[in-house]
This record gives sequence, C-alpha cells and structure tokens, in this order.
Amino acid sequence: MTEQVTANFPWLSLSILFPIVSAFLIPFIPDQGEGKQVRWFALGIALVTFLITVGAYLNGYDPSKEGLQLAERVNWLPDIGLTWAVGADGLSMPLILLTSFITALAVLAAWPVSFKPKLFFFLLLAMDGGQIAVFAVQDMLLFFLAWELELLPVYLLLAIWGGKKRQYAATKFIIYTAGSSLFILLAALAMGFFGGGSPNFEFTHLAQLNFGTGFQLFAYAGLLIAFGVKLPIVPLHTWLPDAHGEATAPVHMLLAGILLKMGGYALLRFNAQLLPEAHAQFAPLLIILGVVNIIYAALTSFAQRNLKRKIAYSSISHMGFVLIGIGSFSSLGTSGAMLQMVSHGLIGASLFFLVGATYDRTHTLQLDEMGGVGQKMRIMFALWTVCSLASLALPGMSGFVSELMVFAGFVTDEAFTLTFRIVIAGLAAIGVILTPIYLLSMLREIFFGKENVELVSQTKLIDAEPREIYIIGCLLVPIIGIGLYPRLITDSYIASIEALVNRDLLAMERVGHPSSPVISKTKLIPAVIKAPAISTSLTT
Amino acid sequence: MPTLAGVFVKRMPSAAEIAWLIPVLPLIGAVITGLGLITFNKTINRLRKPVAVLLVTCLGSAAVISYAVLFEQINGSPPLEHLFVWASAGNFILPMGYVIDPLAALMLALVTTIALLVMIYSHGYMAHDKGYVRFFTYLALFSSSMLGLIVSPNLLEVYVFWELVGMCSYLLVGFWYDREGAAHAAQKAFVVNRVGDFGLLLGILGLFWATGSFDFQNIALGLSEAISSGDVPTWAALTLCLLVFMGPMAKSAQFPLHVWLPDAMEGPTPISALIHAATMVAAGVFLVARLEPIYTQFPSVGLVIAVVGTITCFLGASIALNQMDLKKGLAYSTVSQLGYMMLAMGCGAPVAGIFHLVTHAFFKAMLFLGSGSVIHAMEEVVGHEPVLAQDMRLMGGLKKKMPITANTFLIGCIAISGIPPLAGFWSKDEILGQAFNTFPLLWFIGFLTAGMTAFYMFRLYFLTFEGTFRGENKELQKQLLSSAGKVDDDQEHHNPGELHESPWPMTMPLVTLAIPSIVVGLLGTPWDSKFAALLNPQEAIEMSQSFQWGEFLPLALASVAISSSGIALAVMAYFLNRIKLSEVFANRYPAIDEFLKRKWYLDEINEKIFVQGSRKLAKEVLEVDAKVVDGVVNLTGLLTLGSGEGLKYFETGRAQFYALIVFAGVIGLVALFGVLGTPPI
Repeated sequence: MTEQVTANFPWLSLSILFPIVSAFLIPFIPDQGEGKQVRWFALGIALVTFLITVGAYLNGYDPSKEGLQLAERVNWLPDIGLTWAVGADGLSMPLILLTSFITALAVLAAWPVSFKPKLFFFLLLAMDGGQIAVFAVQDMLLFFLAWELELLPVYLLLAIWGGKKRQYAATKFIIYTAGSSLFILLAALAMGFFGGGSPNFEFTHLAQLNFGTGFQLFAYAGLLIAFGVKLPIVPLHTWLPDAHGEATAPVHMLLAGILLKMGGYALLRFNAQLLPEAHAQFAPLLIILGVVNIIYAALTSFAQRNLKRKIAYSSISHMGFVLIGIGSFSSLGTSGAMLQMVSHGLIGASLFFLVGATYDRTHTLQLDEMGGVGQKMRIMFALWTVCSLASLALPGMSGFVSELMVFAGFVTDEAFTLTFRIVIAGLAAIGVILTPIYLLSMLREIFFGKENVELVSQTKLIDAEPREIYIIGCLLVPIIGIGLYPRLITDSYIASIEALVNRDLLAMERVGHPSSPVISKTKLIPAVIKAPAISTSLTT
Repeated sequence: MPTLAGVFVKRMPSAAEIAWLIPVLPLIGAVITGLGLITFNKTINRLRKPVAVLLVTCLGSAAVISYAVLFEQINGSPPLEHLFVWASAGNFILPMGYVIDPLAALMLALVTTIALLVMIYSHGYMAHDKGYVRFFTYLALFSSSMLGLIVSPNLLEVYVFWELVGMCSYLLVGFWYDREGAAHAAQKAFVVNRVGDFGLLLGILGLFWATGSFDFQNIALGLSEAISSGDVPTWAALTLCLLVFMGPMAKSAQFPLHVWLPDAMEGPTPISALIHAATMVAAGVFLVARLEPIYTQFPSVGLVIAVVGTITCFLGASIALNQMDLKKGLAYSTVSQLGYMMLAMGCGAPVAGIFHLVTHAFFKAMLFLGSGSVIHAMEEVVGHEPVLAQDMRLMGGLKKKMPITANTFLIGCIAISGIPPLAGFWSKDEILGQAFNTFPLLWFIGFLTAGMTAFYMFRLYFLTFEGTFRGENKELQKQLLSSAGKVDDDQEHHNPGELHESPWPMTMPLVTLAIPSIVVGLLGTPWDSKFAALLNPQEAIEMSQSFQWGEFLPLALASVAISSSGIALAVMAYFLNRIKLSEVFANRYPAIDEFLKRKWYLDEINEKIFVQGSRKLAKEVLEVDAKVVDGVVNLTGLLTLGSGEGLKYFETGRAQFYALIVFAGVIGLVALFGVLGTPPI
C-alpha cells in the first residue's frame, strides 16, 4: 500500500463529530415549536460542517497523491481490534464534500418543516456526521458501525414525517438495509480475523492480506448483496420506490443524493479494492446487472404515474452506469462511475427537491391530476426543465460527462471480449433513448398543454420563491461546472482510481483468465491508445 | 528574418485566432438574459428593447468576426486548430477546442447572417407575444450552440453541440407550451433525434475504440490502417460508419427518421426558418461533409447515403404535393431538399452538397419568413389558431395586400424550382450532374422530383397570393376546425382586422434574403466555381478543366424543362383554373391521394409500433416489478413473520426495536470475539 499522509489537524474527525455533538444542543435552543430558531441553528451547523470539509480539502488534501491522506488513528478498543481510523483518498474526498454540501442544502430545503422541528433537524445533523463517517472511516468495523448508525435517523425521518404509507416504507427500508448489512458484519469479521493473530479491521491492513480466491468470492458475494441493496441493484431495489415515494423533500435529497452513493462507494472500497481477484470474476456480472438496472428502471419509470416514484426509478436507472463503470476494469470507466455518483448526487437531489416543491403547491403527485401547470409556475417550469435535461445527460452538464466516460472506458477496454462489449454498449445506449422519453413525457404532462381546470380551482399555484431558486442554483453551479470542465472534479480523485484499477488489472492477471466466457483471453492490459497531439498546432 | 510585415502580423491577431468568440458571444448574451429571467422575471420581461439590442449586438459581433474569418480563408489563410485537454484518465485524453477551415468559415458566415436576420424579423413577429424575451434568449442560445457545432474539431465535440442544438430545438418547438400540439411535437423531435444520437454515440465510441481518436483526420487514417492490418474487420468498420450516419439521418430529417420535422412546425415561424430549414437540419449534411475522409473509404456507405437521400427527396416532394397547411408544405419541401443534399454526399460530391446547403439556406429561410409574414397577417383575420392561420384554403389574393411578401416568396419559388440564373438552379443541377455520373437511377428520381418541386412550390404561391381572399368564410373555418378536432372557442375570435403588409423588421430580412437567393448561385457555376475553389481548390481546377458545354447543356436543359412543366401545370391548375386536379387525379386515384395525405402512413406506423409498443412494454415491466419482484419481498416478509398481516405487523412501531436488536447483537458479537481473543479461522 502506498504511503499515508497523517493529518496536521483532525479535519475529518472534526467534520464527523461537530454536527453530531452540535445536534445534541438542539433541545436547549429556545423555540416556540415552529422551528424558526432551530432551523437557523441547523443551517449554521451544516454550513460550518461544509466549511470544515472544504478546509480539509484545501489544507490537507493533495489531489495528485493516490494514497490515504488526512489520516488519523487512535486505538479505541484494542481488545476487539477497533481503531478510530479516519482518512481520505480519491474515493472518499469527493463524496465527503458532496455529503456536507447536499446536507446543507437539505437543511435549507427543510425550512417549512413545522412538525417536531427540533427532532427533524437533530436527525438531519446526526445524519450529516454519520454519512461523512461512512466515507471517511478506514476501519471495517467502524465502517459497519457508521453504516448502521446512519440507518436510524433515516428510519425515523421516514416513519415520522413521511407520506400516507410511511410506516410500511420505513419498515421495508430498515428490514432491507439492516438485514443486508449483516453480510457486511460477517464479511468484516471474517476478513478482520483472517490469518490468525489479533483482529485488525483497518483497510490498510486488510489490503495487504492475501486472501485465497475462494474466500474472496464468498466475501465478495456477501458484500455485493449488502451494497446492492443500497445502490440499489435490481432486483434488490423495491425498498427504494417506497422509501422515496414517502419521504419529504429534504430527506429525499439525502436519500438520493448521498445514501445511494454509499452503496457505490462501498463497492469500490471493498469489492474492487480489497477483493480484487474476486472482482475479476464478478465484473461481468456487475456489468450485466448495470445494464439491467438502466433498462428495467427506465421502463418502470416510464410507466409510473406517481411523480416521486417516477424519479425514484430514474435514480435506479442512473445507478446502472455506476455498476458498469466499476466493472469496466478501465480507469476511464471507473472514473466515470465515480463522477456519475457525484453527478447523480447533485442532479437527483435537485429533482427530488423540485418534486417536493411542486407537491407543496399541487398537493398531488399523480401526473393525471396535473397538466398546464407551467402557465402559473413559469420559473418552476424552467427549473424543472433544466434539471430534467441534466438528468437525461445533456452535454454541458455533469451527467453527460460521467455517462460518456463510462461508455468510452468500457468500450475501449480490452478486458472483455468484443461481442460482450458490443452487446452491452448497445443495450446501455438504449437507455440513452429511454431516459428522454420518460423525463420529457413527465414534463409534458405536468407543465405543457391547457391548464387542468380542477387542479387550478382547488389549489393556488404560486411560482418558485427565492429560497427554492437559490437551492436549485447552488446545485446547478457544480452540475454545469463539471459539465463544462470535468477535470474540476476528476482531477481530485483520478490518482486513486488509477491505482485501484491497476491493482485490479494485476489481480486479473494473477487469477489467470477467469473461466467467464466474456472475459477477453488476449490482451489484459489496455493497449496504449495513441493520444492525439495536444497542442496549439497549425494543421495544414 | 522578421520583416516589418511579419512583426505587424504577429501583433495583429488574425480573426481566426479570436474565432472562439463567435459561439461565446451569443452565449454570454443568452446567459445574462436567462439568469435575469430566472431571478427578476417581471423586470426583465419589461426590458424588451434592451434585451433585443444586447442579443443582436452579441450576434452581430459574432457575424463580423465570422465574415473576417471567411475573408481570411478566401485569401488563403491556413486552417487553424486550438485544443485543450477536457477530460483525461489513464491513457485516454479527450480534447476539446475549435477549428477554423474553409468549410467552418463558410458555415459560420451563413449561420450568423441568417440568425441575425431572423432575430430582427422576430422583433416584429413576436412583438405581441408575452414570451418575447424568452424567445430571444433561446434564439441566442441556439445560435451559440450551432456556431459551436460548426467549429468543433472532433466528433465528440460535435456530439456535444449536436445535443445542445437538439435541446434548443426542443425548447423552441415547445415555445408555446400551452398548446397540446407543441408539447407533443417538441417531445417527438427530441426523442426521434435521440434515436439517431443512439447510433451516433455508438458509432463515435466504436470509432474511438478502433482508432483511439475522435479527430476526423486521425479516425480516417487510423481506420484505413486498422483495416489493412486486420485489427478491425471491414464489416465492423462499415457498421460503425452507418451507425454514425444515423445521427445525420435524424437531424437532417432523412427517411425514416424525418417524422419529427413536419411536426416541429408547431414552433414559432422564425424558428422554422432558422432551425428547421436553414441551419440545424443542415447540420447532418455538414457532419457528413466533415466525415468525408472516412466515408470515401467505403463506397457502399456512399451508396446507402445516396439511396436514403433519394428516398427522402422523393418522399418529401410527394407529400408536399397536396399539403394544405402552408408551413407543412414548406416543411416537406425542406425534407425533400435535404434529401438532395444527402444524395450529393452519397455521390461523393460534398462540395455540391454544401453548395446546395448554402443556396437552400437563403431561399428556404426567406420562404419560411415569408410564410410567417402571411400567418402574421392571417392571424389578424382568423385569430391565433394555427389550424386556420396556416391553411391555404383560407388564403388567396394576398399579393394585393402584401406585395413585398408576395414578391420575395415568388423569388424563393423560382429559386427552389431551379430556373436559371437563380440560386437553386446551379446547386441542384450540380447535384443532379454528379448523380447522373455516379448513380443514373438515382439521378432519374432526383430529376422527377425537380419537376414535382416546381409544381408544389408554385401551387403554394398561387393558392396563397393569387386569386381571391377566402379568409372571411366562416363556414369553411368551422369545417377546418372540426376536422382538426378542435373546439371553436369564441374568445379566440377577436374583431377580425384587415390584412396588411408586415412591419419593416419583418420585410427587411425578406428583401435582404432575396438578394443572395438570386445571385449566390453564380458563385458556383460549374466552369468557374468560386465555391469549390474555397472548399476544395483541387476539385475546382478539375471541374473547370473537365467542363464541357456539351455535357452541361443537355442536363441543364432537361432540368429546366421538367421544372418548367411543373410550373406550367401549377399555373394551369391554380392560377388559370383550367385543370381541376382534384377531378383529374385525386378522384380517379383516391388511394394515392390518401396515401400522400396520410404522409405515407409513416406517422401511424410509428405511433402503433414504437409509441404504443414502448408504453405497453413499460406498463408490463412495471406490473412485473410491483407484482413479482416486490411480491416476492412482501411474501417473504409474510412467511418469516408467520402473520396474516404481513409487513403491517411492523407498523406498530416495533421495527425500531428490531433495528436495535440487530445493532446490539453486532456490538455483542464484536465484544465476544474481543474477549475470547481467538480468531475463528
């Protein structure tokens, strides 16, 4: 493993503990019960947390290094091998920033919450710290604890503030995730105790162990189920439309913006990084599952008549690209998967926020009960259009770049046979046609056409207010920024991704050639591609 | 040794050096007004004049630079390319930048000119529309994307702007979003184009896989190398070329992906002129011209392109024969003319294709703007209902009231019909000449289509501008509305006004466009083609050397003859009313008449198979998801709990308890292992 850089200041511990500790101050804040003071406090804390993570990035993080940085290590319970080990590399850093950014916006999005506001904001802040912990911890046991700890706030946020079927949705969510996370625990214990000696769950330690291939396959399969629920992978996805369908807008933003990314991150961190030989065997499966995700979820989204569930399914569809990228065995594709996570975090959050804002006005989520809304809510219409276009991967916005990178990385990579690549690329490209079909149909049914007389007579359609424009604006700045110049973000993690992919490629070579028929038998290391001359040149 | 002149040249940046400003300037304008619309909607909507002036200035400056660039290229400046690394990972580098070469320079000048004129025209056309500022913003955004497309140095960047112009088209077709038709048309345009882009994207990726490059020249070189070395089989290369061609097929409305273009006429007429006649739809032709070095290696790809072009050309003209909607008639004419351009590309004559692109852009933009002027006038009489305002059965005799519109429209008709010396003759004749030498059968179809073109164009002219005005016929109006399935809502019928010629912002662009429609063809005469000299000097020399009156005249005379007979037929039928075509033809062959009216039944087929098919499939998948996948989950829950209530059991709030048990169990397990201290393995 490459060298670690120890933190000069406990940036990451601070960013984890600060929001959690501050959240415990909430009960002492004088408030009339409507949340007018609490929300300012929560917003302040969330902003400071965001600033702490930005500070960590600017002061302690060198994007050109591939190894662990900002590392902190304290022996917590040495008897059971539990260490408080946090740190960040290219896999973690973008997602840590994404978490604190989206949470701050979610707090702003929660402005109108007036039912039990103290508890609501307490949970939001607790989640902030918990989710940063998931991405920052460098110890598998600690990771498991953070993973579990973050379930409770989500459960409560769903069960208390959700829609009509909130109990059902929350229960389904907790059973799915808690049940599947037992696999994480089992895998963690097996890996931590592997090889005898005192247990050690630190990633750096686990990365050096030489697990047998059989062991790796078992651990990989277990972890795939656990993370597959979170990502989600079809057919482990059915908790998501229910949970998303019932959540309120701010919770929604967190679910789509961050929670789903935990699955992708964990797949990269554990499956691809710690179990490379099993990864070589499982990669074709990941890719096939990714394509299934893309097409299956796009079709279900198209048929959905409920706006929230429609967008929820579209999230599943977009996560398919993450799977293909992770399985692609190319740094371009894996880098695209990483970018897709960040990009979908931003775009998904913006769409779900808009769903919430629209619901506040129409009081219905059924597309059949809307129509012609654009005439009264013009700015809302504009925001919806921009975010939908971002979601359908319009160039100039982040979704396009990430999907393109996944496509290009997968297609040009020599790890798989040509036929496999052609079939998969062709199928995945069908998603390129399906996405605009469901998103534009949705826009048409909500905003275009004559006003729905019944709707207009029942509710007052007020156009977007400045707070809402501001939230979408904040999300659009990075979406468009990445779309115009993707290196803004890719440069911050590319070194780690390249190291990871090289490790996987070496493992694939070690395994020899897996028996899978789709893995190419000839060239494993990608052919050096002739890069076109990059210069200010005069061609004749 | 640096001479004084050399130093001077170094100090003065050439226009090509600042050519990146051409797409950026309109973009800046669009961003400023767009942000304004989002943040201070009401204020910005009131600032019509300032916004218009700002955007016209941006686009005007871009036009000035474009012309400077064009003159540099005419004077023989070398092509210029600037690149930077846009994204990279591992060995992969995706460069972006801009390229200025003769083709790009020509297109830049063309697009900025027409966009500028359309913007001025829109000031008049959209004067009463509450979305005036939004319209101008979209226009500037479109111009920027289109100009970006032109200067793209590689396929990937082309794809980026390709999608962006498609987005602008979506926004502009759906501009009047309270109209049901516009909503459907906008979506159809985007989705059909995405079908083409599906092929384009796969093709680009495949070519990148095969050659490791997105650059046109490098792909061409790499592909021929890869084929000769056996790395890439020929069939694969052919497939990739055809996949890439799907993009131009959709964007340039080639059969069978042309179905979106006629529907796109739901957009405001200036948009139809700019996007759906002169510039964006020509982007496909432009891309094929850019891909020429790749396509020349595969004659069979050329054949496919030529055949698709010819089918499109004939199909468009045949449907245009009995259209009653003025704009739809022009739209099918555009489809047909784009077919001609593709035919030229397929014949391996990109210069001829681009030449026709340029002449067509001028006269078709003029024709569309003319139709807009007519519609603008008609709306005074019949109200803002497209079914009425665009139907030629309600027009007639408009020449007396709107002489400028009528005369420029007539010039357009003559130009597109191919009567010398107007522009269309030279470009169309060059395409037909090339086709005659390459694919004689396709030439014959193209030749017949030329006659049809002359007929339907003059039919449009006579029905609209000659005869007597039929617009006040209430009975006919009701009949038209009911056949379109619309309710006759009275509020639309404000006091019928008088027909009048349009204001100067609308007539000025018409007159301006009439000039190139007449003379621009003379730049491309086969014996001394300035056009070919700019785009491909080698070919220009060959053309003038091999030029023989003996070869040129028979073909040219034949074209003129068939066009004249088409015009003659139109004169007899619609001006002199000597022939009743409905009796002579339509009643005798009702099947053909119906076939053309139903647009070859393509929309029905499309609706049945693709639209309803995909809906049905999606519904079925959702059923499976809800019943099977989720059903299994709920069933499992039911079985494990052994309770008839299933998951509802948990609704009593015991789930927290369960979660806590899981959590505590974990901690306990960890502690247990810690105490025992013995690893289990």
